[in-house]
Amino acid sequence: MTGIILRLTLRQMLGRGRTILIGLLALLPVLVALVYRLGSQDTEQQEWAATVLLDGFVVTTLLPLAALVYGTAALGVEIEDGTAVYLLSKPILRRRIVLAKITASWMVTTATVLSSGLVAGAIALYDKPKAGILLGFGVGILLGGLVYSALFVMLSVVTSRALIAGLIYVFIWEGLVNGLFAGTRLLSVRHYTLGVADWFVDLPPSAFDAALDPATALVLMVVFGAAATWYADRRLQRFEIGETT
Amino acid sequence: MSAAGGGPTITLDGVSRWFGNVVAVNEISFELSAGVTGLLGPNGAGKSTLLHMLSGFLEPSAGSVTVLGGSPWCNPALYRHVGLVPEREAVYGHLTGYEFVLLSARLQGLADPRGAARRAIEEVDLGAAATRTTGGYSKGMKQRIKVAAALVHDPTVLLLDEPFNGADPRQRLHMTELFQRLATEGRTILFSSHILEEVERLAERVLVIVAGRLAASGDFREIRRLMTDAPHTFVLRTSDDRRLAAALVAHESVVGVEVGNELLTVRTSQLGAFARAAPVIARDAAVSIHELRPTDESLEGVFSYLVNR
Repeated sequence: MTGIILRLTLRQMLGRGRTILIGLLALLPVLVALVYRLGSQDTEQQEWAATVLLDGFVVTTLLPLAALVYGTAALGVEIEDGTAVYLLSKPILRRRIVLAKITASWMVTTATVLSSGLVAGAIALYDKPKAGILLGFGVGILLGGLVYSALFVMLSVVTSRALIAGLIYVFIWEGLVNGLFAGTRLLSVRHYTLGVADWFVDLPPSAFDAALDPATALVLMVVFGAAATWYADRRLQRFEIGETT
Repeated sequence: MSAAGGGPTITLDGVSRWFGNVVAVNEISFELSAGVTGLLGPNGAGKSTLLHMLSGFLEPSAGSVTVLGGSPWCNPALYRHVGLVPEREAVYGHLTGYEFVLLSARLQGLADPRGAARRAIEEVDLGAAATRTTGGYSKGMKQRIKVAAALVHDPTVLLLDEPFNGADPRQRLHMTELFQRLATEGRTILFSSHILEEVERLAERVLVIVAGRLAASGDFREIRRLMTDAPHTFVLRTSDDRRLAAALVAHESVVGVEVGNELLTVRTSQLGAFARAAPVIARDAAVSIHELRPTDESLEGVFSYLVNR
């Protein structure tokens, strides 16, 4: 049953203009890496690739934006246009619908972001040891993409302004508040992602050092992702077609 | 699943639903069993709210809703026996008609989803368009494919919100015959409409809902009689308004006349008697009637009468 909803959602998401938009955004890290390679390179190639390219462009920008666009569309579009009723009026546990939507968002998000990050990283580190950095960020993106997807699917069930709420989370909470107050990083998917990546990245702390240690990041990822999934399921179980829909 | 011993399949007991301080449905109680029932009322009367509560998409603020012995709220298992046609036109536009119905069949977990989808599409006479994407369907075709998707699992209860919207006369006739046949097979069909003639054509029973309240319920002919007896106002253009007014006012069906602005306004409490008497009275008074039209163009006035009687 989950597979049927997953296929339906993938078909919906891949047939839209948003895929082109995110695809173009995913080209940006690759272009930046190419420009970096063609330009004058300093001796800190690995540090630049980890902190500027993979952290700055891929994990901080591309990953949350791709997850936001796909995560809020996976179920939010159906709720908005009224087609969600065709899924919700079936003898299916709402949990299965939520899981299918999160999985669809995660698959499309990670396929886009992972390919962009790995290609960009490989270009930037063409003649340098890169296995640890690429593995670290690869695993981080896989897990971070899942938690972001759970968060944004949950937002689309909770509010009709999920895109705006998600942008506030990404740019205000993670982009601004996390920089001002270190404690708030405990509620940041970006910092979970970097923490997990740090597990594998073989650079000295002076070159790349995540705010959260890998074990803490992993535990928080599981807790945060599970809580978002649970809440999305709970809200979908009590989903109402109101006078406003 | 069906109601045991032909008992009610749908029961509402003192059901209310409010949104903030707006009462959309106000203390409605009724029972329905197999057959076609029309939910009649003007736009905004609360018909969709009632159907949403019956289909588990709204929680009642007060009272209880029971469908096939269980509450539809937070009870997805009930959808094995309930088919729903929502009012909104939206369908998955990237799917063909066949894929759309097949999706419903698969989500219902049917043993032969392809066969069930084909049969349901034939039921609504949409076989020729089944391979086209639903995004290109007309409004009437979308309504029919939604009906097919709702029928694919052979439900005991079918809830339809304005199912005839956008359908042409031939499609309406086809769907009317389909719903009547499904009802004779023992299904409970409840459909909403704001058009009296639609309900008259299809429903054996009618529930009239106005401003969130159940204004009348029961056999359609009885409701029709009540509606016919409601005060009606007509405007006439004649060759001699004063002479006809004097003649009409003596008839028992007329409760008031008004002459002015080259128009004669007549109020009647017995629509049928007035309709039969007016031409005879005009002929006897040697007055020609050029135009006779009701001022109550909508059903609002009749509905209000039913609420206040």
